[in-house]
Amino acid sequence: MNLSPSSERSTAHVVVIGSGIAGAAASIAAATVTPSVVMLDGGSGASTLATGAIDRVFWKDSQEEPAKALSEGAQAIVAALEGYVVPVLGCAVVTMAGMVRRADGHDAALLDVSALGAGRVGVVDCHRPGWNARELARAWGEGYAPFESSLLRHTDESLLPDADLAARHDDAGRLGWLAERLREALARARTRWTGIVLPPMLGVERPRAQALSQSVGLPCGEAVGSPGGPAGLRFESARDRALSSARAVKVMARASAVERYGETWRVTTEDGLVLQAYSVVFATGGLIGGGIAYAPSEALLATALPPHVKPPLQLTLSAPVRLGARGRLLEAPGSLCGFAPEALARPFARDSLVEAAGILAEGLESGQSRDGRPRGLFAAGDVVADAARAWLGALSQGAQAGADAAQSALSRATVASGAKPAIGPAIRL
Amino acid sequence: MLDTPLVPTEQAVSLAPPAVAMRRADAPKDASAVDRVDVAVIGGGINGTGVARDFALRGLRVAVFERNDLAFGASGNSSGMIHGGVRYLSQSPHVTKTSCRDSGYIQHIAPHLLFRIPFLMPLRGGPKARIVLELVDAYFRAYDDYQPLKRGEPHCRLDAGDLAQLEPGLVGGLVGGVTFDEWGVDGVRLCVHNAVDAIEHGSRVLVHTTVESIARAPSSGDPYRYVVSGRDRLRGRSTDVRARVVVNATGAWSPITAALGGLPQAPVRVRPGKGIHVVLDRRITNYGILSEAIDGRQVFIEPWQNVSVLGTTDDDYYGDLDDVRATSEEVRYLVQGVARTLPGVRLARAIGTYAGVRPTLYEYGRNEDALSRDHRVVDHSVDGAPGVYSMIGGKLASYRLFAQELCDHVAPHDLGNTVPCSTHTRPLPGGERVPDSGQLGACFGVTPVAARRLVYRHGERALRVLERTSRCASERDTTCACEPVLEAEVRYVLREELARTVADVARRTRLGLGACGGMRCAARCGQIVASELDLTPSEGRAMALEFLEQQARSRVVALGPEQARQEALLAAHVRSSLGSAP
Repeated sequence: MNLSPSSERSTAHVVVIGSGIAGAAASIAAATVTPSVVMLDGGSGASTLATGAIDRVFWKDSQEEPAKALSEGAQAIVAALEGYVVPVLGCAVVTMAGMVRRADGHDAALLDVSALGAGRVGVVDCHRPGWNARELARAWGEGYAPFESSLLRHTDESLLPDADLAARHDDAGRLGWLAERLREALARARTRWTGIVLPPMLGVERPRAQALSQSVGLPCGEAVGSPGGPAGLRFESARDRALSSARAVKVMARASAVERYGETWRVTTEDGLVLQAYSVVFATGGLIGGGIAYAPSEALLATALPPHVKPPLQLTLSAPVRLGARGRLLEAPGSLCGFAPEALARPFARDSLVEAAGILAEGLESGQSRDGRPRGLFAAGDVVADAARAWLGALSQGAQAGADAAQSALSRATVASGAKPAIGPAIRL
Repeated sequence: MLDTPLVPTEQAVSLAPPAVAMRRADAPKDASAVDRVDVAVIGGGINGTGVARDFALRGLRVAVFERNDLAFGASGNSSGMIHGGVRYLSQSPHVTKTSCRDSGYIQHIAPHLLFRIPFLMPLRGGPKARIVLELVDAYFRAYDDYQPLKRGEPHCRLDAGDLAQLEPGLVGGLVGGVTFDEWGVDGVRLCVHNAVDAIEHGSRVLVHTTVESIARAPSSGDPYRYVVSGRDRLRGRSTDVRARVVVNATGAWSPITAALGGLPQAPVRVRPGKGIHVVLDRRITNYGILSEAIDGRQVFIEPWQNVSVLGTTDDDYYGDLDDVRATSEEVRYLVQGVARTLPGVRLARAIGTYAGVRPTLYEYGRNEDALSRDHRVVDHSVDGAPGVYSMIGGKLASYRLFAQELCDHVAPHDLGNTVPCSTHTRPLPGGERVPDSGQLGACFGVTPVAARRLVYRHGERALRVLERTSRCASERDTTCACEPVLEAEVRYVLREELARTVADVARRTRLGLGACGGMRCAARCGQIVASELDLTPSEGRAMALEFLEQQARSRVVALGPEQARQEALLAAHVRSSLGSAP
């Protein structure tokens, strides 16, 4: 497919802005309704920085609740993303910060320790940054013990970033070598092991835990590591596979503006591409993903006072939506010096403005159009105000937004088709 | 008078209930178990550790009580210079002179810990600009007289072209200026070195141990006439020490400490002056640069180790001394002041702030900047407590001299000890020799950068840190990548330098103080603290969380666009891997 410059405008039923989990879910869901879906990928964001444990809401909030089934649409997306496990009753994973934590689901390279049988879980002893088998085993509790085995084949591997080491295990030969080392170690050990935890290293193309477990004969998997590890890269490749089998089009570009254009919307990218769409889904991410920026009036000025004040948080593209938090519009501060950051960002408080602010859902025509304004703008994921900043939550929301956006686009395209040429299934880009 | 407190006053009644104090003093749990020392020093800042080392090197036995951690207050939150006090030249030239002389001594005893900071003082144009330049030039000519005392270069007079060449980012219609030479230092390391040396000469240093009472011992004939009772704030254990002399070196806390002993507060009163600093993510200039704040005060930016530091404010402080924090108001004041001369500072990424409270000598009715930076020893024998002294005021640069002044009087007068002071000739631990960090790194298989940082912090003792890696190879792992800090160093400061929490480790090693805010190292450090100090894993995690939250609170007041994104990522990661709940 060719991307055309702005003069030759292309039209899609749905344009999804953002390629994180919300955007991917929206694109895949929309593609099941209409084949005319374009997803704009502006680069890595919060989903790529995720570490593999996935939740609907912050896990401490959901701890005591009974498990809830995912909606059908969301389940379909999880299935399409192959590589994620979402058991009905949830699961448990271990973190390199020293915790055993509940999760609603996990990247398939992670070890679900709640599903293991009786016995000890081996923590592979190796020299990796931040990995100390003895102390991790102690922190995770009685069921864990260090497991002596070599993991590193080359001398550079004790300092290699997690993702690079993980990439080496996409190679079947290398994975086989690892399985052999683990089998040898198992044969030497007297303890009865029930599973083996490794540092984040099991593949970036696909999660290699299952293949490893099969050849070792014991469940093997990763612990949750730091942001920027292999789990994020595995997400990207799973997403790309799912998108292409759903026949949604991914375009590498950053959207810079969304404007009204008759009954449709016009999306402009930073490199001048213009897309026309009946529905637009904002899934640009929040502060981490780059969809929202903290840009106080005074920050970029070397003069004593800024010429005007504006709200300290802004959408990173221009669009007819408004930002807010806790149901209220975000306003400019009554100060030429900017917002008092203490009021804006209470550290680690999830309702602090910096984290809660996003697109106010009220400003969106998500189905019914009041006061005759055009329909077709949707939002999902971290960019939505007060949304739970959680992977599965964003997936569910994205799936819903994508399906709604496609339905809305279809119905309006049918109405419009009398006046305009119908938009064919294969969009011309 | 013989029962406690030393002098009954209202404060004593309220802060140290006599009944409690009397019971302690009358019936110590086990008389033989109570440690007997020549001097009990209260306060583990630079004055307290400095005086402890001085006494210890004279062969006296010392116990130091520190309520928080070493260098927790002003000593660890200063501008990080042992500057010559050029600012005080016109008001109190002897402060400048003693500062410069002692700066020279500190270079001699801790050569690894000092780094040169060349300063620029640009002057703005105006009707009297030429005269001002002449005056400034003359002023610094006077300062040049003291520079040889601290191996400083004499000043240079610069024209506008020179300034533009040295630092192209300067603005403001500058007509010229001068350079002057100062030395940077890590105040925390200086305190730690002093404390470690005191310990190696037979002293005890109790950190996180607050003094609950200072009482007179029951038997009047006993030369160990004072009982200092401390309580470990982390473990709850109590420690009593019998001492012949008590030194109150608690800086801004001095009046509070005096009250614990029932002493009148007036003679030890200080005027607490809060000063804050903003830390930028890298060295945005190679020179310290002076600028003028909106109220005409002098503010500056300095390259400090691998970051830049903006300083400082001086405001009367009425808050909690254990929880001093910068506010965004203060940050804006500083940034505005520095940006007037170096506008690029507004675009730089602030990765933190820190704040401390100066124990300035008390005086009512004067502007903060006009207050004397001198120091004074208060002898409480006039209050009926012979052998009890308070150290009031003082500066990082002249701590050694202040300690010597006190010990030169107290050692012969109260303790019959006439050994001369040797703190200016005997090197601090690690200061014997500065090893070549390139060689050291190659020898132990650590990166040159890590080796260089290690040598800066530990001098010759970097060898002892690295020797740990020969015994246990996993200690070569980098715990904090920003600084960088090796696991061996984390364990070393826990074993040898009295660190007891993640924040203590950070103070000594700068772990977690970089741009990532501890995202990659705090939890790991908590695990190491727990394993070294025999705590439970959840105690280690709690410490890590506490550190992360404290640091986040100190960063948020200087929040800028890039750091905001990092803060959000850090919070998300902490929530997902440590489960912190708001």
